[in-house]
Amino acid sequence: MSGFDSFNTEFFQTSYSIDEQGQAYDYGGGRPYGRQYGGYEYSQQSGFVPPEMMQQQPYTGQIYQPTQTYTPTSAQSFYGSNFEDEPPLLEELGINFDHIWQKTLTVLHPLKVADGSIMNETDLAGPMVFCLAFGATLLLAGKIQFGYVYGISAIGCLGMFCLLNLMSMTGVSFGCVASVLGYCLLPMILLSTFAIVFSLQGVMGIILTAGIIGWCSFSASKIFISALAMEGQQLLVAYPCALLYGVFALISVF
Amino acid sequence: DRDKAQAVCQDLILHDGCRQASKAFSLYANIDILRPYFDVEPVQVRTRLLESMVPVKMINFPQKIAGELYGPLMLVFTLVAILLHGMKTSDTIIREGTLMGTAIGTCFGYWLGVSSFIYFLAYLCNAQITMVQMLSLLGYGLFGHCITLLVTYNIHFHSLFYIFWLVVGGLSTLRMVAVLVSRTVGHTQRLILCGTLAALHMLFLLYLHFAYHKVVEGILDTLEGPNMPPFQRVARDIPVVSNAVLNTTAKANALTL
Repeated sequence: MSGFDSFNTEFFQTSYSIDEQGQAYDYGGGRPYGRQYGGYEYSQQSGFVPPEMMQQQPYTGQIYQPTQTYTPTSAQSFYGSNFEDEPPLLEELGINFDHIWQKTLTVLHPLKVADGSIMNETDLAGPMVFCLAFGATLLLAGKIQFGYVYGISAIGCLGMFCLLNLMSMTGVSFGCVASVLGYCLLPMILLSTFAIVFSLQGVMGIILTAGIIGWCSFSASKIFISALAMEGQQLLVAYPCALLYGVFALISVF
Repeated sequence: DRDKAQAVCQDLILHDGCRQASKAFSLYANIDILRPYFDVEPVQVRTRLLESMVPVKMINFPQKIAGELYGPLMLVFTLVAILLHGMKTSDTIIREGTLMGTAIGTCFGYWLGVSSFIYFLAYLCNAQITMVQMLSLLGYGLFGHCITLLVTYNIHFHSLFYIFWLVVGGLSTLRMVAVLVSRTVGHTQRLILCGTLAALHMLFLLYLHFAYHKVVEGILDTLEGPNMPPFQRVARDIPVVSNAVLNTTAKANALTL
Protein backbone atom coordinates (compact mmCIF):
# COMPACT_ATOMS: atom_id res chain seq x y z
CA MET A 1 0.00 0.00 0.00
CA SER A 2 2.89 2.36 0.39
CA GLY A 3 3.14 2.60 -3.35
CA PHE A 4 -0.38 3.86 -3.53
CA ASP A 5 0.35 6.42 -0.83
CA SER A 6 3.26 7.90 -2.71
CA PHE A 7 1.14 8.16 -5.79
CA ASN A 8 -1.62 9.89 -3.81
CA THR A 9 0.57 12.63 -2.45
CA GLU A 10 1.96 13.47 -5.83
CA PHE A 11 -0.97 13.36 -8.12
CA PHE A 12 -4.09 13.91 -6.11
CA GLN A 13 -4.36 17.45 -4.78
CA THR A 14 -7.63 16.94 -2.98
CA SER A 15 -8.04 15.29 0.42
CA TYR A 16 -10.22 12.26 0.43
CA SER A 17 -11.35 9.86 3.07
CA ILE A 18 -11.90 6.19 2.60
CA ASP A 19 -15.54 6.14 3.49
CA GLU A 20 -17.92 3.18 3.49
CA GLN A 21 -20.95 5.29 2.74
CA GLY A 22 -19.42 7.40 0.03
CA GLN A 23 -20.38 6.79 -3.52
CA ALA A 24 -17.95 5.00 -5.73
CA TYR A 25 -16.99 6.98 -8.76
CA ASP A 26 -16.37 4.92 -11.76
CA TYR A 27 -13.85 6.23 -14.18
CA GLY A 28 -13.78 5.19 -17.71
CA GLY A 29 -10.70 4.41 -19.60
CA GLY A 30 -9.78 8.10 -19.80
CA ARG A 31 -7.31 7.96 -16.94
CA PRO A 32 -4.53 5.48 -16.86
CA TYR A 33 -4.89 4.87 -13.12
CA GLY A 34 -8.66 4.88 -12.96
CA ARG A 35 -9.12 1.17 -12.64
CA GLN A 36 -6.58 0.86 -9.89
CA TYR A 37 -8.46 3.35 -7.71
CA GLY A 38 -11.91 2.15 -8.53
CA GLY A 39 -12.26 0.69 -5.08
CA TYR A 40 -11.70 3.93 -3.30
CA GLU A 41 -14.65 6.08 -2.55
CA TYR A 42 -14.43 9.81 -2.47
CA SER A 43 -16.37 11.67 0.17
CA GLN A 44 -18.53 14.40 -1.20
CA GLN A 45 -17.54 17.08 1.30
CA SER A 46 -13.96 17.43 0.21
CA GLY A 47 -13.20 19.46 -2.81
CA PHE A 48 -13.51 16.92 -5.51
CA VAL A 49 -11.49 17.69 -8.59
CA PRO A 50 -12.69 15.85 -11.67
CA PRO A 51 -9.99 13.67 -13.06
CA GLU A 52 -9.96 15.53 -16.35
CA MET A 53 -8.69 18.65 -14.63
CA MET A 54 -5.84 16.98 -12.83
CA GLN A 55 -2.53 17.88 -14.25
CA GLN A 56 0.52 15.89 -13.81
CA GLN A 57 3.42 18.19 -13.32
CA PRO A 58 6.22 17.39 -15.71
CA TYR A 59 9.30 16.23 -13.93
CA THR A 60 11.96 18.77 -14.70
CA GLY A 61 14.71 17.77 -12.38
CA GLN A 62 17.53 15.35 -12.71
CA ILE A 63 18.02 12.04 -11.07
CA TYR A 64 19.41 12.11 -7.54
CA GLN A 65 18.83 15.82 -7.22
CA PRO A 66 15.70 17.21 -5.63
CA THR A 67 13.75 19.63 -7.73
CA GLN A 68 13.19 23.18 -6.70
CA THR A 69 9.60 23.11 -5.59
CA TYR A 70 7.65 26.22 -6.37
CA THR A 71 6.81 28.21 -3.27
CA PRO A 72 4.95 31.51 -3.54
CA THR A 73 7.08 34.37 -2.31
CA SER A 74 5.73 35.34 1.07
CA ALA A 75 6.65 38.39 3.01
CA GLN A 76 7.84 36.42 6.01
CA SER A 77 10.44 34.38 4.26
CA PHE A 78 12.64 37.13 2.94
CA TYR A 79 13.38 39.36 5.93
CA GLY A 80 16.44 41.39 5.52
CA SER A 81 17.17 40.34 2.01
CA ASN A 82 15.66 43.19 0.01
CA PHE A 83 14.34 46.54 1.09
CA GLU A 84 11.29 46.21 -1.13
CA ASP A 85 10.40 42.80 0.31
CA GLU A 86 10.21 43.96 3.94
CA PRO A 87 6.72 44.22 5.41
CA PRO A 88 5.35 47.66 6.20
CA LEU A 89 6.43 49.11 9.53
CA LEU A 90 2.96 49.19 11.07
CA GLU A 91 2.38 45.54 10.20
CA GLU A 92 5.70 44.62 11.80
CA LEU A 93 4.83 46.57 14.93
CA GLY A 94 1.40 44.98 15.06
CA ILE A 95 -0.51 48.26 14.86
CA ASN A 96 -3.64 47.70 12.85
CA PHE A 97 -5.58 50.93 12.43
CA ASP A 98 -8.71 49.20 11.26
CA HIS A 99 -8.94 47.10 14.42
CA ILE A 100 -8.21 50.12 16.57
CA TRP A 101 -11.03 51.97 14.87
CA GLN A 102 -13.42 49.02 15.33
CA LYS A 103 -12.66 48.80 19.04
CA THR A 104 -13.05 52.56 19.41
CA LEU A 105 -16.49 52.40 17.82
CA THR A 106 -17.46 49.57 20.16
CA VAL A 107 -16.59 51.75 23.13
CA LEU A 108 -18.35 54.83 21.77
CA HIS A 109 -21.67 53.03 21.19
CA PRO A 110 -22.61 51.88 24.67
CA LEU A 111 -25.72 50.08 23.49
CA LYS A 112 -24.02 48.19 20.68
CA VAL A 113 -23.53 44.50 21.43
CA ALA A 114 -19.85 43.73 21.82
CA ASP A 115 -18.21 40.88 20.00
CA GLY A 116 -16.23 38.71 22.40
CA SER A 117 -13.45 38.00 19.95
CA ILE A 118 -12.32 41.57 19.37
CA MET A 119 -10.23 41.55 22.50
CA ASN A 120 -8.35 38.39 21.63
CA GLU A 121 -5.36 40.28 20.36
CA THR A 122 -3.66 42.40 22.99
CA ASP A 123 -3.29 45.82 21.49
CA LEU A 124 -1.65 48.40 23.72
CA ALA A 125 -1.01 51.04 21.07
CA GLY A 126 -4.55 52.44 21.25
CA PRO A 127 -4.63 52.63 25.08
CA MET A 128 -1.23 54.31 25.15
CA VAL A 129 -2.48 56.97 22.74
CA PHE A 130 -5.62 57.49 24.83
CA CYS A 131 -3.65 57.88 28.08
CA LEU A 132 -1.37 60.37 26.37
CA ALA A 133 -4.38 62.26 25.00
CA PHE A 134 -5.94 62.32 28.49
CA GLY A 135 -2.72 63.72 29.96
CA ALA A 136 -2.54 66.27 27.16
CA THR A 137 -6.07 67.54 27.76
CA LEU A 138 -5.30 67.80 31.47
CA LEU A 139 -2.19 69.77 30.53
CA LEU A 140 -4.33 72.17 28.51
CA ALA A 141 -6.39 72.72 31.66
CA GLY A 142 -3.28 73.54 33.63
CA LYS A 143 -2.71 70.26 35.46
CA ILE A 144 0.62 68.55 34.79
CA GLN A 145 -0.35 65.09 36.01
CA PHE A 146 0.97 62.55 33.53
CA GLY A 147 2.54 60.60 36.37
CA TYR A 148 -0.76 60.28 38.21
CA VAL A 149 -2.53 59.08 35.05
CA TYR A 150 0.01 56.35 34.35
CA GLY A 151 0.34 55.35 37.99
CA ILE A 152 -3.40 55.04 38.54
CA SER A 153 -3.77 53.18 35.24
CA ALA A 154 -1.13 50.66 36.22
CA ILE A 155 -2.49 50.05 39.72
CA GLY A 156 -6.05 49.96 38.48
CA CYS A 157 -5.22 47.44 35.76
CA LEU A 158 -3.45 45.25 38.30
CA GLY A 159 -6.43 45.37 40.64
CA MET A 160 -8.94 44.57 37.88
CA PHE A 161 -6.69 41.77 36.63
CA CYS A 162 -6.69 40.12 40.08
CA LEU A 163 -10.43 40.60 40.51
CA LEU A 164 -11.38 39.28 37.07
CA ASN A 165 -9.13 36.26 37.48
CA LEU A 166 -10.91 35.49 40.74
CA MET A 167 -14.40 36.03 39.38
CA SER A 168 -14.28 34.39 35.95
CA MET A 169 -14.21 30.71 35.08
CA THR A 170 -11.53 31.14 32.44
CA GLY A 171 -8.62 33.35 33.36
CA VAL A 172 -7.75 36.60 31.67
CA SER A 173 -4.39 37.99 30.68
CA PHE A 174 -3.03 41.26 31.94
CA GLY A 175 -2.67 42.62 28.41
CA CYS A 176 -6.35 42.04 27.69
CA VAL A 177 -7.42 43.87 30.87
CA ALA A 178 -5.06 46.77 30.16
CA SER A 179 -6.30 46.98 26.58
CA VAL A 180 -10.00 47.05 27.50
CA LEU A 181 -9.56 49.57 30.32
CA GLY A 182 -7.41 51.75 28.09
CA TYR A 183 -9.94 51.83 25.27
CA CYS A 184 -12.79 52.67 27.63
CA LEU A 185 -10.88 55.73 28.83
CA LEU A 186 -12.02 57.52 25.68
CA PRO A 187 -15.18 59.18 27.14
CA MET A 188 -13.03 60.46 30.05
CA ILE A 189 -11.01 62.38 27.45
CA LEU A 190 -14.24 64.11 26.45
CA LEU A 191 -14.80 65.07 30.09
CA SER A 192 -11.34 66.54 30.51
CA THR A 193 -11.71 68.41 27.21
CA PHE A 194 -14.90 69.91 28.56
CA ALA A 195 -13.03 70.80 31.77
CA ILE A 196 -10.59 72.98 29.80
CA VAL A 197 -13.28 75.49 29.03
CA PHE A 198 -15.89 75.05 31.76
CA SER A 199 -15.46 74.33 35.44
CA LEU A 200 -16.89 70.99 36.50
CA GLN A 201 -17.54 71.91 40.10
CA GLY A 202 -21.16 72.90 39.73
CA VAL A 203 -24.33 70.82 39.53
CA MET A 204 -24.01 70.44 35.74
CA GLY A 205 -20.44 69.28 36.24
CA ILE A 206 -21.48 66.64 38.74
CA ILE A 207 -24.22 65.32 36.45
CA LEU A 208 -21.86 65.25 33.45
CA THR A 209 -19.13 63.53 35.45
CA ALA A 210 -21.53 60.90 36.74
CA GLY A 211 -22.81 60.28 33.21
CA ILE A 212 -19.32 59.89 31.75
CA ILE A 213 -18.23 57.56 34.56
CA GLY A 214 -21.33 55.46 33.93
CA TRP A 215 -20.62 55.39 30.18
CA CYS A 216 -16.98 54.28 30.65
CA SER A 217 -17.76 51.58 33.19
CA PHE A 218 -20.75 50.31 31.21
CA SER A 219 -18.63 49.88 28.06
CA ALA A 220 -15.78 48.24 29.93
CA SER A 221 -18.06 45.81 31.75
CA LYS A 222 -19.92 45.03 28.52
CA ILE A 223 -16.67 44.04 26.78
CA PHE A 224 -15.42 42.04 29.78
CA ILE A 225 -18.72 40.18 30.08
CA SER A 226 -18.75 39.22 26.41
CA ALA A 227 -15.07 38.25 26.37
CA LEU A 228 -15.18 36.18 29.56
CA ALA A 229 -18.74 34.79 29.27
CA MET A 230 -19.85 35.99 32.71
CA GLU A 231 -23.58 36.41 32.26
CA GLY A 232 -25.54 38.06 35.03
CA GLN A 233 -22.49 39.63 36.65
CA GLN A 234 -22.26 42.81 34.61
CA LEU A 235 -23.06 45.02 37.60
CA LEU A 236 -20.44 43.27 39.70
CA VAL A 237 -17.80 44.00 37.03
CA ALA A 238 -19.07 47.50 36.31
CA TYR A 239 -18.77 48.73 39.91
CA PRO A 240 -14.97 48.36 40.29
CA CYS A 241 -14.55 49.90 36.82
CA ALA A 242 -16.72 52.80 37.99
CA LEU A 243 -14.49 53.29 41.03
CA LEU A 244 -11.38 53.34 38.82
CA TYR A 245 -12.84 55.79 36.33
CA GLY A 246 -14.14 57.82 39.28
CA VAL A 247 -10.54 58.38 40.38
CA PHE A 248 -9.68 59.56 36.88
CA ALA A 249 -12.68 61.89 36.98
CA LEU A 250 -11.45 63.20 40.34
CA ILE A 251 -8.17 64.17 38.65
CA SER A 252 -10.08 65.92 35.86
CA VAL A 253 -12.46 67.80 38.08
CA PHE A 254 -10.17 68.99 40.87
CA ASP B 1 37.28 23.63 27.00
CA ARG B 2 37.08 24.77 30.59
CA ASP B 3 35.16 27.85 29.48
CA LYS B 4 32.66 25.68 27.66
CA ALA B 5 32.10 23.56 30.73
CA GLN B 6 31.66 26.69 32.79
CA ALA B 7 29.10 28.09 30.33
CA VAL B 8 27.12 24.84 30.36
CA CYS B 9 27.21 24.80 34.15
CA GLN B 10 25.94 28.37 34.39
CA ASP B 11 23.19 27.62 31.95
CA LEU B 12 22.06 24.62 34.01
CA ILE B 13 22.05 26.63 37.24
CA LEU B 14 20.06 29.41 35.63
CA HIS B 15 17.43 27.07 34.24
CA ASP B 16 17.14 25.17 37.49
CA GLY B 17 16.79 28.38 39.47
CA CYS B 18 14.11 29.68 37.14
CA ARG B 19 12.15 26.47 37.41
CA GLN B 20 12.29 26.41 41.19
CA ALA B 21 11.31 30.07 41.44
CA SER B 22 8.31 29.57 39.19
CA LYS B 23 7.27 26.50 41.19
CA ALA B 24 7.48 28.43 44.45
CA PHE B 25 5.60 31.35 42.92
CA SER B 26 2.79 29.20 41.62
CA LEU B 27 2.52 27.53 45.01
CA TYR B 28 2.47 30.56 47.29
CA ALA B 29 1.07 33.28 45.06
CA ASN B 30 -1.83 31.13 44.04
CA ILE B 31 -4.79 33.44 44.27
CA ASP B 32 -7.10 30.61 43.32
CA ILE B 33 -7.57 29.83 47.00
CA LEU B 34 -9.59 33.06 47.21
CA ARG B 35 -11.75 32.12 44.26
CA PRO B 36 -14.72 30.68 46.19
CA TYR B 37 -15.10 33.90 48.16
CA PHE B 38 -15.80 35.91 45.02
CA ASP B 39 -18.52 33.74 43.59
CA VAL B 40 -21.58 35.96 44.08
CA GLU B 41 -24.62 37.25 42.26
CA PRO B 42 -25.64 40.93 42.24
CA VAL B 43 -28.89 40.09 44.04
CA GLN B 44 -27.01 38.47 46.89
CA VAL B 45 -24.73 41.48 47.29
CA ARG B 46 -27.69 43.84 47.36
CA THR B 47 -29.50 41.72 49.94
CA ARG B 48 -26.46 41.57 52.19
CA LEU B 49 -25.90 45.31 51.93
CA LEU B 50 -29.44 46.00 53.06
CA GLU B 51 -29.27 43.37 55.79
CA SER B 52 -26.13 44.93 57.23
CA MET B 53 -28.22 47.83 58.49
CA VAL B 54 -30.84 45.65 60.17
CA PRO B 55 -29.96 44.33 63.64
CA VAL B 56 -31.13 40.76 64.20
CA LYS B 57 -33.42 40.08 67.12
CA MET B 58 -32.68 36.42 67.72
CA ILE B 59 -29.42 36.18 69.62
CA ASN B 60 -29.90 32.77 71.22
CA PHE B 61 -29.05 30.98 67.99
CA PRO B 62 -25.79 31.52 66.07
CA GLN B 63 -26.57 33.83 63.18
CA LYS B 64 -25.37 32.96 59.70
CA ILE B 65 -22.56 35.10 58.28
CA ALA B 66 -21.87 34.93 54.57
CA GLY B 67 -18.17 34.24 54.03
CA GLU B 68 -17.82 36.43 51.01
CA LEU B 69 -15.12 38.95 50.16
CA TYR B 70 -16.40 40.74 47.06
CA GLY B 71 -18.88 43.00 48.87
CA PRO B 72 -16.50 43.99 51.70
CA LEU B 73 -13.65 44.68 49.26
CA MET B 74 -15.85 46.91 47.12
CA LEU B 75 -17.10 48.73 50.20
CA VAL B 76 -13.54 49.42 51.35
CA PHE B 77 -12.66 50.78 47.92
CA THR B 78 -15.82 52.91 47.97
CA LEU B 79 -14.77 54.31 51.32
CA VAL B 80 -11.36 55.14 49.81
CA ALA B 81 -13.07 56.96 46.94
CA ILE B 82 -15.34 58.90 49.32
CA LEU B 83 -12.37 59.89 51.47
CA LEU B 84 -10.47 61.08 48.40
CA HIS B 85 -13.48 63.09 47.29
CA GLY B 86 -13.82 64.61 50.74
CA MET B 87 -10.14 65.52 50.89
CA LYS B 88 -10.26 67.10 47.46
CA THR B 89 -13.37 69.17 48.14
CA SER B 90 -11.90 70.48 51.36
CA ASP B 91 -8.41 71.09 49.93
CA THR B 92 -6.77 68.99 52.60
CA ILE B 93 -3.01 69.07 52.26
CA ILE B 94 -1.11 66.00 53.40
CA ARG B 95 2.48 66.98 53.91
CA GLU B 96 4.07 63.58 54.50
CA GLY B 97 2.73 61.35 51.72
CA THR B 98 0.02 61.38 49.11
CA LEU B 99 -3.75 61.68 49.33
CA MET B 100 -4.32 58.34 47.65
CA GLY B 101 -1.80 56.56 49.87
CA THR B 102 -3.30 58.01 53.02
CA ALA B 103 -6.85 57.07 52.04
CA ILE B 104 -5.94 53.52 51.04
CA GLY B 105 -3.78 53.05 54.12
CA THR B 106 -6.49 54.26 56.46
CA CYS B 107 -9.32 52.18 55.02
CA PHE B 108 -7.46 48.95 54.42
CA GLY B 109 -5.61 49.34 57.69
CA TYR B 110 -8.87 49.63 59.55
CA TRP B 111 -10.54 46.73 57.75
CA LEU B 112 -7.64 44.29 58.05
CA GLY B 113 -6.27 45.49 61.37
CA VAL B 114 -9.50 45.69 63.33
CA SER B 115 -10.72 42.41 61.83
CA SER B 116 -7.55 40.69 62.97
CA PHE B 117 -7.75 42.27 66.42
CA ILE B 118 -11.39 41.32 66.93
CA TYR B 119 -10.64 37.81 65.62
CA PHE B 120 -7.86 37.56 68.21
CA LEU B 121 -10.27 38.72 70.94
CA ALA B 122 -12.88 36.27 69.65
CA TYR B 123 -10.29 33.52 69.97
CA LEU B 124 -9.65 34.60 73.56
CA CYS B 125 -13.36 34.86 74.35
CA ASN B 126 -14.15 31.55 72.66
CA ALA B 127 -16.49 32.95 70.03
CA GLN B 128 -17.50 30.89 67.02
CA ILE B 129 -16.24 32.92 64.12
CA THR B 130 -13.64 32.43 61.40
CA MET B 131 -11.31 35.05 59.98
CA VAL B 132 -13.11 35.26 56.64
CA GLN B 133 -16.44 35.69 58.42
CA MET B 134 -14.97 38.46 60.57
CA LEU B 135 -13.57 40.22 57.50
CA SER B 136 -16.95 39.89 55.80
CA LEU B 137 -18.89 41.15 58.85
CA LEU B 138 -16.69 44.20 59.39
CA GLY B 139 -16.57 44.93 55.66
CA TYR B 140 -20.35 45.03 55.38
CA GLY B 141 -20.41 47.15 58.53
CA LEU B 142 -18.56 49.84 56.59
CA PHE B 143 -21.69 50.36 54.48
CA GLY B 144 -23.09 52.64 57.18
CA HIS B 145 -19.82 54.60 57.22
CA CYS B 146 -19.96 55.06 53.45
CA ILE B 147 -23.52 56.43 53.55
CA THR B 148 -22.79 58.77 56.46
CA LEU B 149 -19.62 60.19 54.95
CA LEU B 150 -21.14 60.55 51.48
CA VAL B 151 -23.94 62.69 52.91
CA THR B 152 -22.00 64.69 55.47
CA TYR B 153 -18.98 65.50 53.27
CA ASN B 154 -21.34 67.34 50.96
CA ILE B 155 -23.81 68.88 53.41
CA HIS B 156 -21.86 70.67 56.09
CA PHE B 157 -23.96 70.58 59.23
CA HIS B 158 -22.39 69.26 62.40
CA SER B 159 -25.75 68.35 63.92
CA LEU B 160 -26.66 66.39 60.79
CA PHE B 161 -23.41 64.47 61.13
CA TYR B 162 -24.13 63.61 64.77
CA ILE B 163 -27.61 62.36 63.88
CA PHE B 164 -26.20 60.18 61.08
CA TRP B 165 -23.40 58.99 63.36
CA LEU B 166 -25.84 57.81 65.97
CA VAL B 167 -28.54 56.39 63.71
CA VAL B 168 -26.72 54.93 60.71
CA GLY B 169 -23.47 54.11 62.45
CA GLY B 170 -25.36 52.81 65.41
CA LEU B 171 -27.55 50.50 63.32
CA SER B 172 -24.61 48.88 61.55
CA THR B 173 -22.74 48.52 64.85
CA LEU B 174 -25.80 46.97 66.48
CA ARG B 175 -26.04 44.45 63.67
CA MET B 176 -22.40 43.38 64.08
CA VAL B 177 -22.75 43.27 67.85
CA ALA B 178 -25.92 41.15 67.67
CA VAL B 179 -24.26 38.64 65.35
CA LEU B 180 -21.23 38.37 67.61
CA VAL B 181 -23.39 38.04 70.75
CA SER B 182 -25.28 35.18 69.12
CA ARG B 183 -21.99 33.39 68.61
CA THR B 184 -20.45 33.95 72.06
CA VAL B 185 -21.24 32.30 75.35
CA GLY B 186 -20.86 34.05 78.68
CA HIS B 187 -21.62 37.59 79.76
CA THR B 188 -18.07 38.80 80.36
CA GLN B 189 -16.87 37.53 77.03
CA ARG B 190 -19.79 39.09 75.21
CA LEU B 191 -19.15 42.39 76.93
CA ILE B 192 -15.45 42.47 76.10
CA LEU B 193 -15.88 41.50 72.48
CA CYS B 194 -18.87 43.62 71.62
CA GLY B 195 -17.77 46.60 73.63
CA THR B 196 -14.45 46.71 71.85
CA LEU B 197 -16.01 46.34 68.42
CA ALA B 198 -18.68 48.98 69.06
CA ALA B 199 -16.16 51.47 70.41
CA LEU B 200 -13.71 50.99 67.52
CA HIS B 201 -16.43 51.15 64.84
CA MET B 202 -18.10 54.30 66.14
CA LEU B 203 -14.83 56.06 66.90
CA PHE B 204 -13.57 55.29 63.39
CA LEU B 205 -16.53 57.09 61.86
CA LEU B 206 -15.92 60.07 64.13
CA TYR B 207 -12.25 60.08 63.17
CA LEU B 208 -12.98 59.91 59.43
CA HIS B 209 -15.32 62.86 59.59
CA PHE B 210 -13.11 65.14 61.59
CA ALA B 211 -9.66 64.23 60.33
CA TYR B 212 -10.34 64.28 56.61
CA HIS B 213 -12.74 67.09 56.12
CA LYS B 214 -11.68 69.71 58.62
CA VAL B 215 -11.10 72.96 56.90
CA VAL B 216 -7.87 74.27 58.30
CA GLU B 217 -7.78 77.74 56.84
CA GLY B 218 -7.09 79.48 60.09
CA ILE B 219 -3.88 77.57 60.62
CA LEU B 220 -2.84 78.12 57.01
CA ASP B 221 -3.32 81.85 57.46
CA THR B 222 -0.98 82.04 60.40
CA LEU B 223 1.64 79.98 58.58
CA GLU B 224 1.55 82.01 55.43
CA GLY B 225 1.43 85.40 57.01
CA PRO B 226 -0.72 88.42 56.24
CA ASN B 227 0.05 88.51 52.53
CA MET B 228 -2.36 85.70 51.60
CA PRO B 229 -5.70 86.85 50.19
CA PRO B 230 -8.68 85.50 52.10
CA PHE B 231 -10.28 82.26 50.80
CA GLN B 232 -13.92 81.67 50.08
CA ARG B 233 -15.01 80.39 53.45
CA VAL B 234 -17.91 78.25 54.63
CA ALA B 235 -18.56 79.92 57.93
CA ARG B 236 -20.08 76.89 59.66
CA ASP B 237 -16.91 74.84 59.37
CA ILE B 238 -14.47 77.21 60.99
CA PRO B 239 -14.00 76.44 64.67
CA VAL B 240 -14.40 79.28 67.15
CA VAL B 241 -10.74 79.45 68.03
CA SER B 242 -9.62 80.69 64.65
CA ASN B 243 -12.04 83.60 64.58
CA ALA B 244 -9.58 85.51 66.69
CA VAL B 245 -6.82 84.60 64.25
CA LEU B 246 -8.93 85.78 61.33
CA ASN B 247 -9.69 89.04 63.07
CA THR B 248 -6.03 89.73 63.79
CA THR B 249 -5.00 88.94 60.21
CA ALA B 250 -7.78 91.12 58.85
CA LYS B 251 -6.64 93.93 61.06
CA ALA B 252 -3.03 93.41 59.94
CA ASN B 253 -4.15 93.55 56.30
CA ALA B 254 -6.12 96.73 56.89
CA LEU B 255 -3.13 98.31 58.54
CA THR B 256 -0.78 97.57 55.63
CA LEU B 257 -3.26 98.67 52.94
